[in-house]
Amino acid sequence: MQHDSVETAGELLIILRHAPHGSSWLREGLDAALVAAAFGRQVTLLFCGEGVTALVAEQTAGPLGQKGTQPTLEMLAMYDIDTLLVDQQALDERGLTAADLLLPVRPLAPPQLAAALAAHPLVLNF
Amino acid sequence: MILHTLNRSPTESRVYRQALAAMGPDDRLLLIEDGVQGALPSLVRHFGELEGRLFALREDLEARGLAGRCAAEVLVVDADGFVALTEEADKTVSWF
Amino acid sequence: MRYALLVQGGPYSHQAAHSALRFAEAAIARGHHLETVFFYHDGVYNAARLAAPPQDEPHLVDGFRSLHEAHGTQLKVCIAAGLRRGLLDEREAARHGKQGHSLEAPFELTGLGQLIDAGLSHDRLITFSP
Repeated sequence: MQHDSVETAGELLIILRHAPHGSSWLREGLDAALVAAAFGRQVTLLFCGEGVTALVAEQTAGPLGQKGTQPTLEMLAMYDIDTLLVDQQALDERGLTAADLLLPVRPLAPPQLAAALAAHPLVLNF
Repeated sequence: MILHTLNRSPTESRVYRQALAAMGPDDRLLLIEDGVQGALPSLVRHFGELEGRLFALREDLEARGLAGRCAAEVLVVDADGFVALTEEADKTVSWF
Repeated sequence: MRYALLVQGGPYSHQAAHSALRFAEAAIARGHHLETVFFYHDGVYNAARLAAPPQDEPHLVDGFRSLHEAHGTQLKVCIAAGLRRGLLDEREAARHGKQGHSLEAPFELTGLGQLIDAGLSHDRLITFSP
């Protein structure tokens, strides 16, 4: 995915800032990404803050059978959503590295975060 | 140039840090709803480097009794000014 | 300019819907065309047909409805977010075997693709979240 520089990125940037399970923000943000991709839009995901925990491996369904988001994340490639950006600082704060995550990601420092927002015509923040 | 809106006080939520980290050098920040508390002189330092690019919504300040307590460096706009800011920006991103 | 609003906050529990309506008025007053209001997350509750706020409070459902009546604004409610939260029009109520319905025109249940379309085809999309 070397061709996916932030500067030449897609039409829609979806920022995911919430952890799985605690609220529906992550799931509803991912739903928006999948729908956009299904309609042929080029989608980039940016995981910020608590959103980086969405990518931690070995998540499960909730005790009542609440669906987690891991199965959705595993479908992203099928939808051609392969530009996954993460906020490096959010990883650092949680003692995580890119190697701890389910999917290959590109960590970004703050100037690159701003560039990612600027490069996409539409930004939705969840 | 992007207009960012923020509806949380810096004392209540750290989301303002995410907003600041995602802002480019020309981007603007508009404080709305509970976010207008960030316009108080004792809290405005959280937005330190935004001189001239930090706005607060007058109606939300007034409704909270804070209109007369706003820091001098914060640019106060009304609803019409809010719309004007969205016209001037390429896009608007909300932080909450 | 053509504007779309995305409302994600539920009515009365948070200021988001009030802020969105206030912005809508101001945008229209400046000559813009408010084409779409899309309701997602808890914002779908703003379409609740049976909302009965006290008479001395702003009626949010009526507020959005009058945007449609006066300016032709389309009021689109995410169907997936709506059904989960009990917002069903007559057709969906029948399909799910429910008595009564909780959402009616001019609000319409639509897919999330309509949000993406509005975001990319309108000049501006402004989000109001809880």
